[in-house]
Amino acid sequence: MLTIRNLHVSVEGRPILKGLNLEVLAGQVHAIMGPNGAGKSTLAAVLAGREGYEVTEGEVLFEGQNLLDLGPEERSHAGLFLAFQYPVEIPGVSMVQFLRAALNAHRAAKGLEPLDTADLMALLREKAALLKLDPSFLTRSVNEGFSGGERKRAEIFQMAVLDPKLAILDETDSGLDIDALKVVAEAVNALRAPHRAFLIITHYYRILQHIQPDVVHILADGRIVRSGGPELALELEEKGYEPLILPA
Amino acid sequence: MKLAEAPTLSLEAGASHLTEVLRGYASAEGLPPSLREAWQAHARQAHLEALFLDQKHKEDWKYTPLSFLRRPWKLAPPVQASPPVSLAFSGQAAELVLPSEDLPALRSLPAPTSVWEALLTPAASLQHYALSQEGYFVLAPHGTGELSVHAATLSVAPGTQAEVLVAPSGSGFLLVRLHLDAGEGAQVRFFLPAGGGAHDLFVYVLVTARLAQEAQVETYDLTASVGWKRSEVRVYLSGVQAQAHLHGAAIVGQGSVVDHAIRVEHAVPHTASNQLFKALVYKGGHSAFQGRIFVHPHAQKTNAYQSHKALLWEPGAVAYSRPQLEIFADDVRCTHGVTTGFLEGEMLFYLRARGVPEEQARHLLAQGFLEEVLSRVPQEALRGWARQAMGFAE
Repeated sequence: MLTIRNLHVSVEGRPILKGLNLEVLAGQVHAIMGPNGAGKSTLAAVLAGREGYEVTEGEVLFEGQNLLDLGPEERSHAGLFLAFQYPVEIPGVSMVQFLRAALNAHRAAKGLEPLDTADLMALLREKAALLKLDPSFLTRSVNEGFSGGERKRAEIFQMAVLDPKLAILDETDSGLDIDALKVVAEAVNALRAPHRAFLIITHYYRILQHIQPDVVHILADGRIVRSGGPELALELEEKGYEPLILPA
Repeated sequence: MKLAEAPTLSLEAGASHLTEVLRGYASAEGLPPSLREAWQAHARQAHLEALFLDQKHKEDWKYTPLSFLRRPWKLAPPVQASPPVSLAFSGQAAELVLPSEDLPALRSLPAPTSVWEALLTPAASLQHYALSQEGYFVLAPHGTGELSVHAATLSVAPGTQAEVLVAPSGSGFLLVRLHLDAGEGAQVRFFLPAGGGAHDLFVYVLVTARLAQEAQVETYDLTASVGWKRSEVRVYLSGVQAQAHLHGAAIVGQGSVVDHAIRVEHAVPHTASNQLFKALVYKGGHSAFQGRIFVHPHAQKTNAYQSHKALLWEPGAVAYSRPQLEIFADDVRCTHGVTTGFLEGEMLFYLRARGVPEEQARHLLAQGFLEEVLSRVPQEALRGWARQAMGFAE
């Protein structure tokens, strides 16, 4: 589904990713762990198409398509979703307005008619319930006045609504208390499907106790230095990053 | 003479010319003696004859482009004969004082809904003044390319509610002068819409309001791309627990000037005021905001808030913002916030990353920016009008 080959990315002339390789298959959950500054969020940003990241070498294929040629909205239409680490507030734009625009743009890209209001509201209410979000949040401005936990849940709610093929969770677990983490993990597990893949970027083992990954990667200094099964996350938890990323 | 054919004066010559015109107007010649005195007092209060040249007030006009004064404005004939109107609201009944020759211009509005319908069809039937029995006052002058002056004094009886709509349309230079005396506990709302692409419309609205104890005034200034509009609102809170809530939302397009000049005076203890103004400025647009909060020495426990946000849509947009807080009491809470800037790239990226195409995302963000003000407009029809005029209708 996602193939990253020898990806080099610079920010303001400074190399951050230095030859990253990754292969994610449909149905899989990959976890990417790594110390601060390893390039985890840069990877998420460059996949979603954020400005200011210069790809100097390598390629990214998403279902055979060159992802880097697409604008952020086209990547979304193609089935990519990024759950933001710091979701921004959008004053004056309600969650309903926002998701109506997003969903109908997705539908237009597939040649479908816009969703009518009744169907839209039914869908939004169903997914809000999945994330245990009060329906009133649909009419509030996007992320405005939301607590940190609410914002993260709102991200996963949006993911559930947009039904992506590949979801990237950029430190979705940070700032969540244990109850909110369980809600998020349950929602993610409910959305696991043979046609869908997840890339979970995290500092902590904690979320992986609730969402069992198929593959765990350690990202250090812009490269994946080790990959393994779920046991690698446990090993990290016990030993810390240093012994695992030092050259053998 | 059509505006397009008007010869161009220097700014000074244009301003002097206007001063002469207004001075003649302020002399109230040709008015019945019973009205002359009232009108002269009015004109003095409005500084009509010295509006644009008075050195004392020059600072207040510093950020307001006045190039339209280079036109040799002439008074529109029908308006020259138009006298001031005095209105008194008392309970559900209202009394309107007008000289007999103006009676044909008076329309009776049986239900408030028809007021709003009239607004929604600009340049329609409401030429001068109209009033319903419901406590609505409508001033909908339709400019015909020349200078016209419109004035009214409103006295709202204690405990009464009134809504005032000032909806200029057409073309030309319209001077609107309103004075409100709000009795104890009276509640008055001013709606000040203008726009819909009327680039040859120049509007100067000056509202003064004096509020007695527990009286409340709200203003909603909604401007969508006019040639030039200055809304000057001066509120004097003279009774305890009096409140002023002033709002403004403006789209300032190419060649358009929108200027808000606000002055709120807290003269006694325990009064509150709130200013919330937003302007979306496009290339070639000019927005100005001056907000003065003046707290008198004995006006303890004053609660005053002011916010002005200008969103510069693209390079070439201009916004001036001038908050002025003069506080002479020590036990008060006064806060203000002023921001001027471009659209946040992070917001745009967030929407695009969810699949919203860039142009649509920008449109949503523009609407969201003004929605903070629009959503507070307590008249659904006017809210709808504003969204439509600003290009946000769904």
